[in-house]
Amino acid sequence: MILRYLARRLFLLGFVFVALTVFVFSLNYLFPGDLVSNLTGLRNITPEQHQTLQTSLGLDQSLWQQYIEYNRRLLDGNWGLSFASQQPVLQEIGRVLPATLELASYALCLSLLAGIPLGLLAAVRKDSWLDKFISGMALVGYSLPVFWLALICIMLFSLQLGWLPTSGRLGVLFEVPTQTGFIFADILLATEIDRMAAAQSAFLHLLLPTLILASYPTNVMIRFVRHSMLDVLEQNYIKTARAKGLSRPQVLYRHGLRNALLPVTRQVGLQFSTLITLAMLTEVIFSWPGIGQWLIDSIYQRNYPSIQAGLLVVSSLVICVNMLTEILHTLFNPLARKF
Amino acid sequence: MKKLRLYYEEYNKKPYQLLWRHFMPQHFAMFGLIILCVLLTIALVSPFMNPHDPYLQNSELLLVPPSWQGNGLVSYPFGTDDLGRDLMSRLMLGASYSFGLAILAVLGAMLVGILLGALAGMTRGVQSSIFNHLLDLALTIPSLLLAIVIVAVLGPGLLNTIWAIMLAMLPQFIHGVGNAIQQQLKQDYVVAYRLDGANNWQILWSVVLPNLWEPVSLLFTMALSTAILDIAALGFLGLGAQAPTPEWGSMIADALDSIYLAPWTVALPGLLIFITVLSINLVGDGLHKAMKKRRES
Repeated sequence: MILRYLARRLFLLGFVFVALTVFVFSLNYLFPGDLVSNLTGLRNITPEQHQTLQTSLGLDQSLWQQYIEYNRRLLDGNWGLSFASQQPVLQEIGRVLPATLELASYALCLSLLAGIPLGLLAAVRKDSWLDKFISGMALVGYSLPVFWLALICIMLFSLQLGWLPTSGRLGVLFEVPTQTGFIFADILLATEIDRMAAAQSAFLHLLLPTLILASYPTNVMIRFVRHSMLDVLEQNYIKTARAKGLSRPQVLYRHGLRNALLPVTRQVGLQFSTLITLAMLTEVIFSWPGIGQWLIDSIYQRNYPSIQAGLLVVSSLVICVNMLTEILHTLFNPLARKF
Repeated sequence: MKKLRLYYEEYNKKPYQLLWRHFMPQHFAMFGLIILCVLLTIALVSPFMNPHDPYLQNSELLLVPPSWQGNGLVSYPFGTDDLGRDLMSRLMLGASYSFGLAILAVLGAMLVGILLGALAGMTRGVQSSIFNHLLDLALTIPSLLLAIVIVAVLGPGLLNTIWAIMLAMLPQFIHGVGNAIQQQLKQDYVVAYRLDGANNWQILWSVVLPNLWEPVSLLFTMALSTAILDIAALGFLGLGAQAPTPEWGSMIADALDSIYLAPWTVALPGLLIFITVLSINLVGDGLHKAMKKRRES
C-alpha cells in the first residue's frame, strides 16, 4: 500500500520535473538574444563556431530532439557558461547555494522554535490579553515588508548602536578557505586562524539576516498553529477526553498537541518556497553571497544561462522539499492516507 | 419607535446585511476598512490632483525635513527628497501605482482564475488530474521568483511587473476556486438541483457561483496583500517601476543613498506599504471572522 503511494508520488515528481525542464528549455527561445549563445553561454561566437555548435547542440533537428539533447546536457552537468564570468554555471551555483541553504535553514528552525510555542500559547489562552497580544504582533509582523524591516534594523542596530555588522558572512580579517561552503564547517576545517574569534564573527554576521528572514515565517507559523489548535480543541474527542476525567494539561498534551501539530509538517513545505523568495531579498540587502543575490545580479546583467540554471535549481529544491514534507505528512497522519 | 407587528412573521436579514452586522463590531477591521477607503480615494484622485507636481525638481528645497521637525516647512508636510521633489505628492501618486495597480492586477487574476477554476472544478478524471498537477507545479514556484523570471523575459518596467504579478497570482486563484467548487458540489442543495434535472452549466451558474463570493473575497484580500508586497519588492530590486515613477518600493531604493541625511525618505514609503498591507490583512481577518459567525448564527 505504502509502496504504491510512494510510487505514485515519484511518478508525480517525474512529471513535475519534465514540465519544469520544458519550461526552462522554452526560456532559451523566449529570452532575447541568439539561441546558441543562450544555450552555451559563449559570447562573441565566430560564424564557423556557430555552425559547429549548431550541429553539436542538435539545433538542426526537431524541437523534440533538441529538448532531449538539452536534458542529456543537464544530466551530464554541462549547464553552459555564465555570460558574466565565463565560468561553468553549475560550479558557480555550487559556490553560492550553501550560503542560502545555511541562512534559510537557520531561519526555518528559528521560525519553528518560536512560532509553534507562541501559537499554542495563544490558542490555549484564547481571548485573553496574552492571545490578543501574540495575535496582534503576528498580524503586524505578517504585514511588514521584509526589505523595509531589514533597512530599519540595519539603521538601528548597525549604524546607530554599532552592535552588528551590516553585510557579508564573515569579518574581512579572517581568511577562511572555502571547502564545504557552510561557514561554520569551513571555520572548523580551517587551520591557521583563531577559530573562536572567527566563529564569533560569523555568528554576529548571521544574526541579523536570520532574524529578519525568520520574521515572516514565524508570524505565519504562529497564525497557522493557533488556528489549527483552536480547530482541534473544538473536536468531539477533546470533549470526550475531558468527560473521561483527564486534567487540562493531559488533554492538551495527549490529544490536542499531537493532532494540532500534524498539519505543521505540510505547512513547513509550503513555507519553504516563501522562505527562499524572502531569502533572495534578504541576501540582496545584506550582501549575503547566496543564490538569491547571484540570481538578481544575473538579471541585471541579462545573464540568461545563469537565470535559467538558478530557476531550475531553486524550483527543484522547493519541489523536492514540498514532496518530502507531503510524504512525511502522509506517513504521520493516518487520516491523510488515501491509498 | 418600534414597528407594530400584528401578525407573527418570520423576518430574515439578507446575507450581506448579516455579514455587515458581524463585521461592524470588530473595531480593528472597521479601522482597516476606513483606511483602505481613504487610500482608494487617494489612488483615484492623485493622478489628477496633487499639492505639488510630484516630478518637479526644486533645487532650492533639497532634503527639507518633514514639517513636524523644527526646520521643516508647512507647505511640504512630509518634506522633500534629494532632488527637491515634494514627498507628500509623490507618496499620494504612489498610492495609485502601488495600491491601485495591485488592485487591478489582482482583479484581472481573479476573473481569469474564476474562469479557469470553474473549468478545473467541474471537470473530472484524467483532464482534471493533469490540470491539477500543472497547477501544483506552478504553486510550488514562489510567486516573486516567477515574477522575476517573467520580468527577465519581458524586461524591467512597471507594466511588465503588473503582467508578471497577474500571472504569478493566477495559480492560487485557480486552485482556490477549483477547491471551493468541488466543496460546493458535495452540498445537498446541489444534489437536489441535479435531481431536478439541471445540467452542469445550470448548476454552475445558478447554484455554485453565487455561493462562491465568500471564498473568493477571502482569496482576494490575501492575494492583494501579496501583490502589494511583491510589486514593492520588485520595485525595490529595480526590476519593477523605473526611476522617476513614485512607486513606493522604488522610492525606498532611490532614497537609499541619502539614508543617513534624510531617514524619512526611506521610512515614510515603507510605513505606507506597511499600513496598507496591515489594513488589508485586518479587513481579511475581520471578513473571515464575520463569515464564520454568520454561518454559526
